[in-house]
This record gives sequence, structure tokens and C-alpha cells, in this order.
Amino acid sequence: MQTQVIAESDRYPPGDLAIWVFILAELAAFAAFFGSYAYTRMQHVALFNHYQLTLDKTAALINTFALITSSYFVVRGVAAIRENDSQGCVRWLMAALVMGGLFLIVKSQEYAHHIDEGITLSTNKFYMFYLSLTFFHFMHVIMGMVILAAVAVKARRGRYSAEQYVGVETGASYWHMVDLVWLILFPLVYVMR
Amino acid sequence: MKKRTVLGIRTCTWIWLIMMGLTLVTYTIGQAGLGGLSASLTVLVIALLKGQMVGDYFMGLKRLRGFWRWPVSLWLFLPGGLISVAFTLVG
Repeated sequence: MQTQVIAESDRYPPGDLAIWVFILAELAAFAAFFGSYAYTRMQHVALFNHYQLTLDKTAALINTFALITSSYFVVRGVAAIRENDSQGCVRWLMAALVMGGLFLIVKSQEYAHHIDEGITLSTNKFYMFYLSLTFFHFMHVIMGMVILAAVAVKARRGRYSAEQYVGVETGASYWHMVDLVWLILFPLVYVMR
Repeated sequence: MKKRTVLGIRTCTWIWLIMMGLTLVTYTIGQAGLGGLSASLTVLVIALLKGQMVGDYFMGLKRLRGFWRWPVSLWLFLPGGLISVAFTLVG
């Protein structure tokens, strides 16, 4: 699987251009969220540093591995359909969905633990940001999985080929955005102090 | 439909492994309880590098020319800058 020919299509990102407008809007929202977190932390450094220690960094590590790996699997899925390998594409997308499912399970366990401890959005400013920011991202993971599942179903039905795979690239681009956001969220909320 | 330039799978496999390794570095810094400006900025730079890798290689933006080459890089610069300033101001 190596470099193939191109030209004018290399002026535009993979997939439908509309999804990129959506992706940029989503990224802008997350940037505002990250900026707000950092700004609020400036006024409550001790509180943020204290409660950050209550978070499960190992769970966050597993989730980071899961999302990075799922993104890689999606890359393989796109490469497969470019080779006209529909079944290969489906298999890689299913593998990515399994990784997405792992993320949801681990994150849900984290939430269950916090709920058991009586932690809510109003517990303090750190938890307000932690819960709202991670849950906002959690919902994007679910949305991304729905999109990938829909793409996998279409690929299974033979709707994509080496000549027509814009839909696969569109779903892949959205999923990479979900991964991209988590790559900033993980160190910011769990590690930086 | 013209085929795009496809970055090699081998390259993407290496990028995946490098990102996993960089994630372990971040985790180790976190588990060691390292804090302060230098540790925080190190972790942030690692995150921004990983983000750039996702944009360049997984999203495939590296091969683009023109406007669409830059949105992810610019986005990384935005929260990266805000976070850097905020952490620098509190030391």
C-alpha cells in the first residue's frame, strides 16, 4: 500500500467538506472549554491540584491507548477500501468500534466511582470542569461510534469501493477529531499541575 | 474520482507506536506526581506533538496545499497557547 497518484484533490481534506466545517466548529467549542479550564485553574490552583489527584490516571491511560489505537484502525479501514477491500474495511472499522466501546466502559466506570462518592457538578469548580468536559467528549465518542457503525454497515453492503469512498473518509475524519480532542484533554485534566 | 496521495500504512503504523510511547511518557510523569511549570509544559508539548501527528498522518492533512493544510495546526496553537499562558502565569 504505497503512495498513489493525485493532483487537484490534494487541495481539500478527506471526506465531505461539510464534515470539516462541523469538525472546526466542534474544535472551537473544545478550545473554549480548555481555555476556560486553564483560566479558572489560575484562580483556584490549590483546589485543582488537590482534586486532580483523585482522578484515575491509569483509566485515562487505557482510554488514551484505546482512542489512539481506534484512530489507527480507522486509518487501516480507509486504506482497505482504497484497495477495494470492503470486508477488510469492515473488519478494521469493527475493531475501531471495539476500542471505542472499551473507552465508554472505562469512562463509565470512572463516572460510577464518582457517583458512588457523591461527586456532582456542584461539588466544586474542578469537578464541574472535569465532569462537564469529559462528558461532552464522551457524547462525541458515542456520536463517532454511531457514524463509524453506519459506515461499516454501508461498507458491508458493498456501497463503497476504490472509486467511491468519500463516506468512509467522512466518518474517519470525525473519529480522528474525537481522538484529537482527547489527546489534549487527557494531559490537561489528569496530569498537568 | 481521482485517487488521493495515500500516506503509507507503514508510516502510520510507526506514528501509532510513537504516539503510544509518548502517551506512556505523559502517564509516567503523572504517576510520578511531577508538577510545576517545566513538567506541565513538557506534557503539553507532547500532547501538541501527538495532535499534530493525528492531523498530519491520520487525518491526512500533511499532503494538502492551501487553506486546509492548517486548521488542525492552528487549532492546536489556540488551546496550546491559552494553556501555556495560564500555567506560566501561576508558575
